[in-house]
Amino acid sequence: MEDNKFEFVQLEENLSEHIAAPHYSYWKSVFRKFFSSKIAILMLVISAAVILMSIIQPMISGFDPNHNPNINNPSMKFLYPSLQYPFGTDGVGVNIFDSVWAGTRTSLEISIIATTITTVLGVIVGAFWGYSKKLDAIMIELYNMVANIPFTLIVMVLMYVMGAGKWQLIFALSVTSWLGVAYFIRVQVMIIRDREYNLASRCLGTPTYKVLIHNVMPYLISVIVTSVSRDIPNYISYEVFLGYIGIGLKEEEASLGRMIQEYAQYMQSYPHIFWIPVFISALISVSLYIVGQTLADASDPRTHMM
Amino acid sequence: MKKYILGRLVRSILSIFVVVSIAMFLIFTMIPKTNVFNNDPVYSKLKSDPVASITYKYQKWEDLGYLDFQQQSDICKESGVACSTRTDAFNTVKAEWEAKGYSVSFTADGMAYIKKGLDFYIEQPEMCKLSESNVDYDECVKTRNATFDEVFEKYTNNGYNVLYYLDGAIYAYRDYSIFEQVGKFLTTFVKLDNPWMIQDASNPDLERKIYIGQDHNGIPAIKCTGCESQYLIYFNSSFPFIHQNWISFDFGLSFPTYSGNDVMDVISKGQGNVIMSDVEFDTGLKSSSGLNLHTCKYKPTSTLDKMDKTKFSTNYANCNSFTEDPSMIGTSYLFGILGLILSYVIAIPAGIKMAQKKDEWQDKLGIVYINLMIAVPSLAFILFVKLIGGKMGLPDKFPQFGFGDFRSYILPVLILGLLSTAGLMMWTRRYMVDQANADYVKFARAKGLNQKEIFNRHILKNAIIPIVNGIPGSIILCISGAVITESVFAIPGMGKMLPDAIKATNNNMIICLTFIFTALSVLSLLLGDILMTFVDPRIQLSSKGETR
Repeated sequence: MEDNKFEFVQLEENLSEHIAAPHYSYWKSVFRKFFSSKIAILMLVISAAVILMSIIQPMISGFDPNHNPNINNPSMKFLYPSLQYPFGTDGVGVNIFDSVWAGTRTSLEISIIATTITTVLGVIVGAFWGYSKKLDAIMIELYNMVANIPFTLIVMVLMYVMGAGKWQLIFALSVTSWLGVAYFIRVQVMIIRDREYNLASRCLGTPTYKVLIHNVMPYLISVIVTSVSRDIPNYISYEVFLGYIGIGLKEEEASLGRMIQEYAQYMQSYPHIFWIPVFISALISVSLYIVGQTLADASDPRTHMM
Repeated sequence: MKKYILGRLVRSILSIFVVVSIAMFLIFTMIPKTNVFNNDPVYSKLKSDPVASITYKYQKWEDLGYLDFQQQSDICKESGVACSTRTDAFNTVKAEWEAKGYSVSFTADGMAYIKKGLDFYIEQPEMCKLSESNVDYDECVKTRNATFDEVFEKYTNNGYNVLYYLDGAIYAYRDYSIFEQVGKFLTTFVKLDNPWMIQDASNPDLERKIYIGQDHNGIPAIKCTGCESQYLIYFNSSFPFIHQNWISFDFGLSFPTYSGNDVMDVISKGQGNVIMSDVEFDTGLKSSSGLNLHTCKYKPTSTLDKMDKTKFSTNYANCNSFTEDPSMIGTSYLFGILGLILSYVIAIPAGIKMAQKKDEWQDKLGIVYINLMIAVPSLAFILFVKLIGGKMGLPDKFPQFGFGDFRSYILPVLILGLLSTAGLMMWTRRYMVDQANADYVKFARAKGLNQKEIFNRHILKNAIIPIVNGIPGSIILCISGAVITESVFAIPGMGKMLPDAIKATNNNMIICLTFIFTALSVLSLLLGDILMTFVDPRIQLSSKGETR
């Protein structure tokens, strides 16, 4: 050991400031995680395509269920898919390509509006519900009562009472289901609020809003996205079902459910007419569900550790 | 524990009442009462006859509990005075005009007029003036006589609307308020049969008692005279072997579909052809008959006919028949149970397998299946399975082969079963995976138990507890799933009845179905909680007061 084998190094002030843990950004991690799934990307592309189609196509075609110029033109009936009519025409000469996208737009509108209402209302009420003991006593009774009634029954009786229509359907779908979301959030809030890391934050003097944003929100986001991704296909399914049994939307509103009901008679003779709306309804709900589920997984901070 | 269950039961029953009341409130306030005739063929036939159609309309509304309807004869009888709508002087003049071949009509406020052709139109004062009979003009111009005016005033003061038919007779009606309607329903919908139930003017000497007697097969039964049903409790060979007619529910009349029948009868009476068998009636008559003598109800003496008298020695002659097919409730129940069994048979082993092979291909396949089942609209799934089944030669509508054929059941039961597998598989897997990380599992592994023993002996027992809790609850799922399945396959069950009743504006049926669905689901949740305490003695429902 001789001194000449050593040399002096300069003191690097910057290095002492360096933190060993890699930089962590919540949203960046969410997107990295999400885009690492190939199926999710595929489904995202499909659902984006379907949503764009359902917004743009009806604008171009100007489809109106009340207006049918070909009704007395037998040569327009039951045309098979061609370049001009990509999905063919039905028994009264309606271009199915136009009506299917208009119907898809209605279905999407209904499910997205209903999901927004239930989620916003559910999250707000659920957060207070989870924190307040007094509110809990009242709300739990209300929840027990409502949760006991089959949802199908509530929707059907309300649709009967209020009559057919888009806004009536949205009301019927969301009037009780926000309670389910609120209950879900309440349980999550109760679990999170007394976690050790929240206690630690509180002890360290972190303001409540920071605790909410940095500790509670990331945890809740994945929970909320899970519930949203389950609700959207569920509401689409209800619209289709109610349309099928004839109490969903009005005659003058384009709807996938009513199309399926109308075309059920062609199941044997012109099966493609019948299966197109069924397939589209399945396609949007499956793609949105899988995108939602993957996003929910990705937004759970516990999956970011790998 | 007992106290808790009693409390839960009371709250459950209360919530059923609240739900049914809300449904009634909504239906009776928001559906215009004229809508009930939208699909009624009788009303559209009567439309050309204004008097008959008004009478029919109000009579039906009275039957359905919307209002109290009084016709002129009722009004006069009630008021107890000699009451004719018109003054004698007017009646003489009216008869005179009618003898000349003019027809006298009345306006809604009771004024008479005569209209013939385009140019002949005179009103009541003119009629009196032009008459040849020597009547008091003032008396003749009055639309009503004095005693009738009193009656009229009395009815108007009681909140009745008094109106005139076109033939000059009057009728009165009073709309019930919504609270009266709901209150009336709540006080009468549970009927407890008792010996003072029957009030029959044509049979004043009716004996009134409950006694233990024998039925036509010689088996002891609790019988009654004076009650509505002859047998209050009886035994026979069909499930559940002991039957009762003591407590019954009354939801009013079904209208316009199954018109004239009790709503409860429509959904609980057997369907299909009558089964004939040799029966010995209590008069000693032996004949081939389809009557189910256990269901006989009282028939007033004035309506008993000769046939009844040869068969029955008492007034209990109004019997249901044995039928080939189960009732609507029975049908839904049958499909629900079969579907439920199928879904548990598929889902629980599949869920266990997925948990055992976590992250292997079995698990991944299962997850894909679950996701697809949740995401695909149930209607699309049902139609898809129906298509595949149809290709394999299975019937695509239930009535094609009917109840007697095995093939009619395959598709509906398969669909009902598969629809609820996804949720069940997901939860079974979830519970099993959660339990697999518990300390007792690590300990069992440390003791040297193999994976199979750990799963079957330890994890399953713990993971099955929340699943047991869901068993009664999934009966609800079956029923609400059945609404779609029964509609698609045209199965004559209770689930199909709901959309049918909605389309036909059959209000009483909708209220009845609301009650049944709500009651079933509320009670099944309660049963689920109680069942859970049997499976896992550690669970105490009463300790925290809140389990779900």
